[in-house]
Amino acid sequence: MEKENNNLEKPSNRRNFLKVGLIAGGSIAAGTLAISNILSCNKKEGSGVKRTVFTQDGKVYTTDQSHLQDFEVPPVSNDEARKGIPNKKFVMVIDEAKCDGCKKCTEACQKMHYTESDREWIKVFKMQDANATAPYFFPKPCFHCDNPPCTKVCPVNATFKRQDGIVLIDNVRCIGCRSCMVACPYSTRFFNWSAPIEQPELEGMTYSPEKGIPRRMGTVEKCDFCPDMIRQGKMPACVSGCPMDAIYFGDQNEDAVTNASGVTVKFSQLLEDNAGYRHLEELGTEPRVYYLPPKNRKYPKPDMNNIDKKKAGKPVVKDLDMGNMQM
Amino acid sequence: MVNERLNLEKEIETVREDCLKPTRKWGRSTKIWIGCLLIVIAWGLYCYIHQLRAGLGVTAMRNYVSWGLYISTFVFFIGISHSGTLVSAILRITKQEWRRPITRSAELLTFVSLLFGGIMPIIDLGRPDRIANLVIFGRVQSPLMWDIISICTYFVGSSVFLFLPMIPDMALCRDRLTVCDTRFRKFKKWLYTKMAIGWKGTKSQWHRLEKSMTVMTIIIIPVAVSVHTVVSYIFAMTLRPGWNSTVFGPYFVAGALYSGSAGVILGMAAFRKLYHLEKYITPRHFDLMGRLVLALTLIYAYLNLNEYWIPAYKMATAEGHLLRDLFSGSYSIVFWTLQFGTVLLPIIILSIPKGRKPLMLAITCIIIVLGAWVKRYIIVVPTLLHPFMPIQEVPGDWSSYFPNYVEFSVTAAALAGIFLVITLFSKMFPMMAVWEVEDGIKIEHDKQRAIDIRIQREAEEARSRALETDPGIQPIKPDIIIG
Amino acid sequence: MKIISIYEYPLIQDRPVKKKGLGSKPLATLSSFLKIKLLIVLAFAVMFFSRTPAMAQEKKESSIEMAYFKKADLTKWAVAIVTAKNTDGKFIPAKNARVSFYIQDSNELQLLKNVYTDNKGKALVQLRKEMPLDTGRAFVVVAKIENDSLYEDANEKIRFKEANITIKLNPHDTSRTATAVVTETGKDGTEKPLKDIKVNFYVQRLFGSMPAAEDYSVNTDENGEAVFTYAKGIPGDTAGLLTVAARLDDNEQYGNVENKASTSWGTHLMVEKDPFPRALWEPYAPLPLILTISTLFGGVWLTYFFIFNQMRKIKNDKQVKTGIEQKQ
Repeated sequence: MEKENNNLEKPSNRRNFLKVGLIAGGSIAAGTLAISNILSCNKKEGSGVKRTVFTQDGKVYTTDQSHLQDFEVPPVSNDEARKGIPNKKFVMVIDEAKCDGCKKCTEACQKMHYTESDREWIKVFKMQDANATAPYFFPKPCFHCDNPPCTKVCPVNATFKRQDGIVLIDNVRCIGCRSCMVACPYSTRFFNWSAPIEQPELEGMTYSPEKGIPRRMGTVEKCDFCPDMIRQGKMPACVSGCPMDAIYFGDQNEDAVTNASGVTVKFSQLLEDNAGYRHLEELGTEPRVYYLPPKNRKYPKPDMNNIDKKKAGKPVVKDLDMGNMQM
Repeated sequence: MVNERLNLEKEIETVREDCLKPTRKWGRSTKIWIGCLLIVIAWGLYCYIHQLRAGLGVTAMRNYVSWGLYISTFVFFIGISHSGTLVSAILRITKQEWRRPITRSAELLTFVSLLFGGIMPIIDLGRPDRIANLVIFGRVQSPLMWDIISICTYFVGSSVFLFLPMIPDMALCRDRLTVCDTRFRKFKKWLYTKMAIGWKGTKSQWHRLEKSMTVMTIIIIPVAVSVHTVVSYIFAMTLRPGWNSTVFGPYFVAGALYSGSAGVILGMAAFRKLYHLEKYITPRHFDLMGRLVLALTLIYAYLNLNEYWIPAYKMATAEGHLLRDLFSGSYSIVFWTLQFGTVLLPIIILSIPKGRKPLMLAITCIIIVLGAWVKRYIIVVPTLLHPFMPIQEVPGDWSSYFPNYVEFSVTAAALAGIFLVITLFSKMFPMMAVWEVEDGIKIEHDKQRAIDIRIQREAEEARSRALETDPGIQPIKPDIIIG
Repeated sequence: MKIISIYEYPLIQDRPVKKKGLGSKPLATLSSFLKIKLLIVLAFAVMFFSRTPAMAQEKKESSIEMAYFKKADLTKWAVAIVTAKNTDGKFIPAKNARVSFYIQDSNELQLLKNVYTDNKGKALVQLRKEMPLDTGRAFVVVAKIENDSLYEDANEKIRFKEANITIKLNPHDTSRTATAVVTETGKDGTEKPLKDIKVNFYVQRLFGSMPAAEDYSVNTDENGEAVFTYAKGIPGDTAGLLTVAARLDDNEQYGNVENKASTSWGTHLMVEKDPFPRALWEPYAPLPLILTISTLFGGVWLTYFFIFNQMRKIKNDKQVKTGIEQKQ
């Protein structure tokens, strides 16, 4: 179990965590390496912190964290990141009845991906379908559609659909034509209009489409379902960051989804009992994100009379020497 | 007989000299004009370099409106490029004699606007340095890739289409280089010789040229139609309200033909005035072209009706929001000005014979061309501002769009580039297909001679008949009948 | 109340926190003038942020809830959830509260560890393998908030006895019956079966344990045995393997105790024959599309090549020029 974030005595663990993150997302070789180490290593006293390691062939191993820390392995190769985790089909279920619009999911996501404040990979909308119908909060990540309009139009295969259902972007290949942004009916994609703001913690980080960082100017980015976290056996940042347990995440092949509190429920049952639906089903994009209608809500509904079209937050666009004046 | 022959040769000689005259000397005004264009291009280039260094963030585009003036201009330029094909190819196929003086300018306009139209999406790219990825990782499923394929195909086709009828003219230029001023003579000699590709005017060369022209004329039409259809597909292949329309292909083609042929008329009017070709490009040409534009405007109006009336009748959710904004919202003034001012008004003007007089027609065509440009913008931008998800709590400049100085400068530079290439071209090469105009004169001449001979013969026959039967009846003067 | 559980993967893994953006490295692209401007702004920002906002604030009233877990790998954990009163008088999760965990060893409190709570007010600590037991063969863990800068002092204690679960099953049993035996270790080291203990049965899934059925609780009999039959058709992996778990959840005397076993009771997951078919959204295009495009444009280009050939022939024409009026 994770305790690094609670840790007082061992601040170095934070650094270690990153290493583990790397190894856990390692290639087949890394996976085997880690396991063989466990089998052979008896000298070392385990820290008692168990880590789940995902290998490329989709197997899950649980092992002591201390055995993993010695390795520093780059994130999965571009080829592996394009293939995805075999035999998995990731789904998300968002319960509108539980969402109180606190935007903690957005915060967690922005922290996880070092996102600038103007980009919300998961955005909480205030929605009302008709004047008489009930307003509700609508957190919207990327839908990772099974019939994705975005990957269809990409001229260079920079955005792609993986076998585990996740749609990713390779910003090393992206030519910045923005066809995918235009094609996405859910306004999910963001463009790096100018050079990303430099962040010291990103220095020396190896790029993988699974992480999406470091960013590159002139390329597109979007919600990625945190595949690097999934490879470590952890749920995406927004899911574990939701204090209301409104977001469920899991593997459709296992027919199970789990929320932030660790409550695991049967995916099909959850949809059946709560009349789950997908947003804009009529577009035929077949999203991998499902919604439960806002029935029996425990929290105050959003105030639809008080929606700002504009936010106080400034856009993160830099200009070199000329003022970005509007004509 | 000998007299007639001499007259014909004299006439042909005049045509040749009239056509070659602009290529002989660069006037002062030409130099100033080119200088101005170069300044605009230099400033645009500076802005583009700035955009390259600082990113597309220096434009007014943001995450909702991620395509703006550049893509609108791309569509517009590609639209203008349809002119050459239509006017030249269709008039050639139907053997319209009056086409002869105007084909060259139409074909040139195609070539140049296609060249700059093709550059616009590259300007719009976030990572133009990775353009090679299109070849390395190209996906044939992408409408953008279809665009690239068909624009390249069309570009090669229209270059050939422009070049083929130039071959005999190049030989003419090459042979008459002695009259040319001394500057650049070497270069010109080299250029004309190369471009004449050994043209001697032999029977087999003429035969091959005619054959190639016939084939090219036919093949270029479907290619041109495909280009603008595919350009519309980069929009129509999305689910966006306003773009998700099956009529988009024909709609774009019609819009392209309408604006393109108007563009040709503007080119005609300009060359006529500047190079004193009033003798060749006559009000009759304008009248006929005016009729053509009228027909195309009517088709375009019809497709406009389809494009807006069908969804407006239904007012489906997302589409309804967009249409409300177009019909009565923030874009309504522009929208209705376009519909009434650049579609309905030209129809009325062009329906009146006086409206097809050169000056009036030119003014109408300016309206049409500008209208078509703004129309592209109105197709691209409002749709992007009406996504399925509501625009909520975003930075201020995301929820609106108006091009800023960088976009205007770069676009102006592209337009200046078009003018520059046309100017240079017209200062290097004859702006009318000399041999085609010659052919026209010869045909006319032959026709006249045939008529004369017939009149003569019929008169003789009548006289002899009259003498045989009733010597009291006077010879009849026959009517002039031409087959 | 929220469910307290650490069996799953519940916690947000915080990235290392450093000052964002305005870091040590000024933006390289900025001109030197802007750099200076930025530094001034930066200096003000540092002055502003370096003041601790908590100094001026009053401490909030806080409360602690605790739970005890024994996992399948026999590690033991204590969890404390801290809530604090907000301005509306409601108790909400308190983050960054410093919780001190103590073990009670014969009336004496031993400090185990100090832990800060996460965003959900949760702090957890791993307990020793051998805990000091009191006369009732139970151990006591105390969690305290002491001298915290944000929250008022609070404390909570738990007292649990140790229980063990063993799962007896035949992994290839077609009746899919699992028997969980709940025992308590006696003074002499023998295992004493526990009667009338509620055991819950689960299925291990990727991110947590899922209740095996709607009614997934069985009480133990006098032999300490709880028998549960797993339903047919629970999805397993490609080999049909399934991990099942038996748990005591929130038992008053024994806390949370878990054990797991691997079976082949799951349905086989069908491996996708071709995860990357030729499709519009995949890297490889459908053949009809390729055929259509290559036919259309191939035809055009063939025509072009015919014309290029004509041009070549025009260039290489050997016929002697007889006069410019050669053409009829």
